[in-house]
Amino acid sequence: MINEKEIRTARHCISYAMASGAEAVRVSLSKSVMDGYTLLNGELDKVTHSADRSIYLYIFADGRYGTFSTNRLEEKELEEFISKAVIMTRMLGEDPCRRLPEPERTERNAVTGRELDLYDETYESSDADKRLAKALGMSIFSKAETDERYSIISEECEYSESVDDNYLADSQGFEGRHTETMFYCFAEMTVKDCEGNKYSGFWWDASQKADGLSLSDCSAKALEKAAGQIGPRKRRSGTYRMVVENQVASRLIAPIVSALNAASIQQKVSFLDGSLGKRIFPEGMTLMDLARTPGKNGSRLFDTEGVATKDTAIIEKGEVKEYFVSTYMSEKMGIAPTIEDISRPCLMPYLKGEDLTAEEKEVSLPDILRKCSNGILVTGFNGGNCNPVTGDYSFGIEGFAFSKGKITHPVREMLITGNLIDLWKSMIAAGNDYRPSARWQIGTLAFENVSFSA
Amino acid sequence: MNKTYYLDLFNVSLQQIKTVTETALAHGGDYADLYFEHTTFFNLLLKDGVVSSGGFHTDYGVGIRVLKGEKTGYAYAENTEMHDMVQAAKAASAIATGMTSSRTYQPVEDRISDFYPMQNNWRDMGADALLPFLKDLEKAVFEKDQRIVKVIVRLSNSVSDIMMYNSLDELTCDTRPLGSVSVSAVFEQDGKTENRSAARSFRMGAELTGPQLIQELSEEVVRGIDDRFEAKRPKGGQMSVVMGAGASGILLHEAMGHAFEADFNRKGQSIFSDRMGQQVCPKGVNVVDDGTVAFNRGSGNYDDEGVAGEKTYMVRDGILESYLHDRISASWYGVRPTGNGRRENFRYNPIPRMRATYMESGDSNPADIISDVRQGIYVDEFSNGQVKIGEGDFTFFVKSGYLIENGRLTMPVKDINIIGNGPQALADIMAVGNDLKIDNGTWTCGKEQSVAVSCGMPTVLVKNLTVGGEQ
Repeated sequence: MINEKEIRTARHCISYAMASGAEAVRVSLSKSVMDGYTLLNGELDKVTHSADRSIYLYIFADGRYGTFSTNRLEEKELEEFISKAVIMTRMLGEDPCRRLPEPERTERNAVTGRELDLYDETYESSDADKRLAKALGMSIFSKAETDERYSIISEECEYSESVDDNYLADSQGFEGRHTETMFYCFAEMTVKDCEGNKYSGFWWDASQKADGLSLSDCSAKALEKAAGQIGPRKRRSGTYRMVVENQVASRLIAPIVSALNAASIQQKVSFLDGSLGKRIFPEGMTLMDLARTPGKNGSRLFDTEGVATKDTAIIEKGEVKEYFVSTYMSEKMGIAPTIEDISRPCLMPYLKGEDLTAEEKEVSLPDILRKCSNGILVTGFNGGNCNPVTGDYSFGIEGFAFSKGKITHPVREMLITGNLIDLWKSMIAAGNDYRPSARWQIGTLAFENVSFSA
Repeated sequence: MNKTYYLDLFNVSLQQIKTVTETALAHGGDYADLYFEHTTFFNLLLKDGVVSSGGFHTDYGVGIRVLKGEKTGYAYAENTEMHDMVQAAKAASAIATGMTSSRTYQPVEDRISDFYPMQNNWRDMGADALLPFLKDLEKAVFEKDQRIVKVIVRLSNSVSDIMMYNSLDELTCDTRPLGSVSVSAVFEQDGKTENRSAARSFRMGAELTGPQLIQELSEEVVRGIDDRFEAKRPKGGQMSVVMGAGASGILLHEAMGHAFEADFNRKGQSIFSDRMGQQVCPKGVNVVDDGTVAFNRGSGNYDDEGVAGEKTYMVRDGILESYLHDRISASWYGVRPTGNGRRENFRYNPIPRMRATYMESGDSNPADIISDVRQGIYVDEFSNGQVKIGEGDFTFFVKSGYLIENGRLTMPVKDINIIGNGPQALADIMAVGNDLKIDNGTWTCGKEQSVAVSCGMPTVLVKNLTVGGEQ
């Protein structure tokens, strides 16, 4: 954890940079500790211990801007580093749009770093033996029930505990702290069917709180994922309804979030240029940024500039309500600043033809499969990309065919291709079966008329 | 530079690092190594006509690894004070506690090479010396095409001083430069927008930033832009795919290279784990992973375990001949390590990774390969790829290409993903051109850790892959 001496060091960086000729400075001091245990087939395979600390300096001098970092924090070495950093900043091109955010936009209540309840104090009483016991407890390699359809080739389990502590300050007097613990587990299973074909599946969970982690079933779920793929068949190329499982649904939202960033728009590499205030997406689509929810992965009180976050609608009933505009982009584009990026995206539930606003209705995978009746359930993406300028995408997928709301058989080596705006216009459903551990709160999704190639 | 330079740089004596190594083995480890790293990074960004941001970054520390059998204990310190190194050594040594299995790790032959001599050390270059290059490149790009509305130029470089010592009393040192320049341009025409980019990355000093690079990149970034405005998505499905020479090497990286990394095979996870010595490609096909290509981004005088760089034939004349080994897998298989033990930095333990992966030239004329295809697709520009190791299913994303109709390139296509199965795709190679080309873009492989790689390929015809497209 960052101590008082290190905070004094960070503050000294600001004053030393100012004394060296900087007009304004922001400093970010980060420390993290991670202990990880990896098992192979139930036996300990790797133990890792890491402890990092670094200082980032954002220097504004003579209307110019530079970023610098080091993990060498001894005072004399640091001062020499800062002097060189100011000199280099002055060599760069003049850019009058570079400046710190207005002080009134910065967060004032991030004092201890623990305001958002993302720190688990039980972390401090954990030790190597306890962590190892948790890791060993994950393995089902020697106890998995035999199955005539497959044999287990390998099981890899990973358990880790970490703490991240960040102190951010600037020369205008802003100071903010963000501290969080993370408990993480991951399992990957590889199985072989009777014909010698191999299939792998993985599962993970993460939580800021030790008791929020679902550790014991991680490996079993990975096995279920691997075994579920046995006997894949290719569907013919064609247009199908597509359901996308909540594990991977964020893949279809991420390009939208990226395209709403002012930096992309200003550089003309956004397919959502000119979309602010327009209904681009279907009325059923509402994307929130729920940045300040205590205890939730992704929550934060301030962004990397120190600007206070807020809970806000990014897309509301299909209308684009907000771009992500940093202080720099605000100056450059002549528009009001907002926040530099999304913190905790949350897609609100929707079921075509049904009113979900009046009741707290659960919309989950089985509901959506029933609603769609026939189509392809995507449980994983295999490569692919989305053109940021046009929104044209093409992704490899794996998953299952389903009929009459029931899964029939696995599919693989298939691709989906289209345009992201068109895809979202064809939305049938957005579930609220969010994974509690995920930063991206995107439930199961469903779309009409998606092009599949096989 | 001699070893004294590195010992002085890290402010340690040979006796001290031997003491740390002994501490690391105190709980009965079979082998221990120390990886000292001092890396300086530097970057400049030109956007909207101004070099409006830039900076430098310093990373320094030592990673300590202990092996017991194939088990790994790993810890690191962000300084080289004796106290902190000993603490890290003790943390890493814990892997051996209570373990009974053991393995012998053998010394390796030292071969002194210099695949990347630096004429102008990046560390001696101030920002002021590099700014004109960025501006000249931007100017050259704008002059190439009046439809260009935005240009971004990025220059980044790093120099890493590496010192490695292990319990076999092997001390190896290396200084590794890496310079990268990329340029992207946004074009507007009749209300439509397109973008293109080009990049070069080499293990060389600031001599990289010469007029020849400006010419190459400015020509490449506008090449094919007319076709890109015209390009459409093809009708998707299975078809013959002609992989253009160069960046098509991503096919090898994804379809084959990862599956040949020995850790996946040692654990039985790879689709190729029981195929050593078998025919996996048509006869005549040679696939190599090479750490010795001069100035190549993936090259290394030594890997990150102190094993000398070498050229490794994975497939020779169609037969699977070697996996890509680090010291662990080499010991497991009873073979020599192949110099593939690589890591992102001192914070990570080394694992088998590719370097420059390519297929050697065959004897077909590239034009004849295309003319032999009745209906298919030709692809020559790529971005990302991915593979599922167990199943062998791989994908790669095609930024541009052309339909092939009756042996001729016709409609330009863009933004399509291609998917296939590794063993099947290799067996489906129908022709290999005589025009091997290594692609020197900024390829970075992301298996657990990010490492610089490159890839290459002659023109190759694969009989059957699934191409994404409209229905």
